[in-house]
Amino acid sequence: MKWDQPAPREQEAGDRSWNVVRSAWEARTPLPRPRRSRLPLVAIAAAVAVVAAALSPPGLAVLGSISDAVRGERNAKPALFSLPSPGKLLVVSERGVWTAAADGSRRFLGPYRDAAWSPHGLYVAVSGRTEISAVDPKGNVRWSLSRPDVSFPNWGGSRTDTRIAYLTTSRLHVVAGDGTDDVDAGGLPAAARISPAWRPGLPFVVAYADTRGRVYAYEPQTGALRWRSAPLPDPRFLQWSSDGRYVLVVTRDKLAVLRGGKAVSLRFGRVPAAAFRPGTHAVAEIRRLGATSEVLLGRRVLFRGTGEFRQLAWSPDGRWLLVTWPTADQWIFVRVAGGRRIVAVSSITEQFGGGAFPSVAGWCC
Amino acid sequence: MAGSGREERAWIRGAQAGSVADLEALFRHHWPRAYRAAYLVVHDAAAAEDIAQESFLAAVRTLERFDRRRPFGPWLHRIVVNRAIDWSRARALRREIGEAPLAAVAATDRSDNPHARTLASALASLSPEHRAVIVLRHLLEYTPGEISELLDLPRCTVNSRLRRGLDALAALLGEDVR
Repeated sequence: MKWDQPAPREQEAGDRSWNVVRSAWEARTPLPRPRRSRLPLVAIAAAVAVVAAALSPPGLAVLGSISDAVRGERNAKPALFSLPSPGKLLVVSERGVWTAAADGSRRFLGPYRDAAWSPHGLYVAVSGRTEISAVDPKGNVRWSLSRPDVSFPNWGGSRTDTRIAYLTTSRLHVVAGDGTDDVDAGGLPAAARISPAWRPGLPFVVAYADTRGRVYAYEPQTGALRWRSAPLPDPRFLQWSSDGRYVLVVTRDKLAVLRGGKAVSLRFGRVPAAAFRPGTHAVAEIRRLGATSEVLLGRRVLFRGTGEFRQLAWSPDGRWLLVTWPTADQWIFVRVAGGRRIVAVSSITEQFGGGAFPSVAGWCC
Repeated sequence: MAGSGREERAWIRGAQAGSVADLEALFRHHWPRAYRAAYLVVHDAAAAEDIAQESFLAAVRTLERFDRRRPFGPWLHRIVVNRAIDWSRARALRREIGEAPLAAVAATDRSDNPHARTLASALASLSPEHRAVIVLRHLLEYTPGEISELLDLPRCTVNSRLRRGLDALAALLGEDVR
């Protein structure tokens, strides 16, 4: 090529990249226009108003209500008496792994560090420091494999054929659902410390991120690499859409949706958690705005509160969204379909053995 | 120089005001040179796409704070070329086979393969640092003084890299590429 000749694939690369750049641009938060001349006066006036309001009786009442907000939803139930939707939750606390059934009953499965439901909720894959196991919902161990530094099990497949992907240190492993044929996905780059994600259905395709943030779609049965993405540094979470067409990637400062390895949507900004709504391509996400957190579905704000929202988990039917709220030690269930409704539950940490605020590892069928 | 002038300032002003059409005009105007520059430094189409795309994303992220009195091109090209150099260095570190087999392949290419006589192939035989200054000088048409500012290098280093790089290219291609 000469200096003025196009480089190979210049045109199509430009078209693809324009789609990504446009998505990032459209999803940005525009900067407020500065109003230099008015700003000091407005700031002084606001400061005076805040001090005056805080010292007045109505002002003290407002401060009280803010304090209430930090304490969480006012009409929260004192304990998890039931789930608002069918299904069962898998919870990982400092003490170990628990299940919570629709009637509110909780069962301790054992002192494990990570957990994942099998595709139809018949078993749970659990991992300790040096072991990965499959247990039934009563906690009986069906099989175990000893491996160094096991973490992030994720179980995918159909009723008749399943696989579990997991990490040992930084290697991706895949083992059959009956504990046989454990293989190290050799030749692939070292994995980032986040859970791999199975594409729904067959053939088996697992997405995982490497340490540079590239996302790979890998077929463990053939060893074929379907695609890999551009680097998305510091990845935190991967999830396929229900139809297996898109992969949601949450990183430290970006939220991307990939199709075939290419970003079809990319937005900058810190998103602590996001998740595809089951059966759709809609994404629920948490955003932080100073001391406030909010949960959005598209542009619709579903719930807002003071402090930190940490995780999102959709009910299997996609009608309810669970938001975990460590600051208030609460779970908030938000009904998204058929009219908005909020069900809050308090004292979550105590109900799962105390210690740190527990995490939700899945809401299954 | 690409990307200069009143039209570009109008696109940036429009994009800062929220116009996607103006942003697209800015993107379409600068994409070919950004992609070509990345390609000539890394010699890998997929990597060039990643580098140029990420550079545009980095530029777009801060476009609303961009000073319209400055030209957009140098700002973008600085990001592209520095990322391309970083990528090439990282690839060299990751190489899993020794230098001897690569040298043998390159020698065969030079003598038998007409494709090796193309500019891109010849550039690939230079170091990323030499490729970068030649691309900035001859594709993007910056002066050595501007290149020294873009890459944060002394002017004499830019000149020596240009001279050595162009001498090597002339020897490979059998013609003067200046």
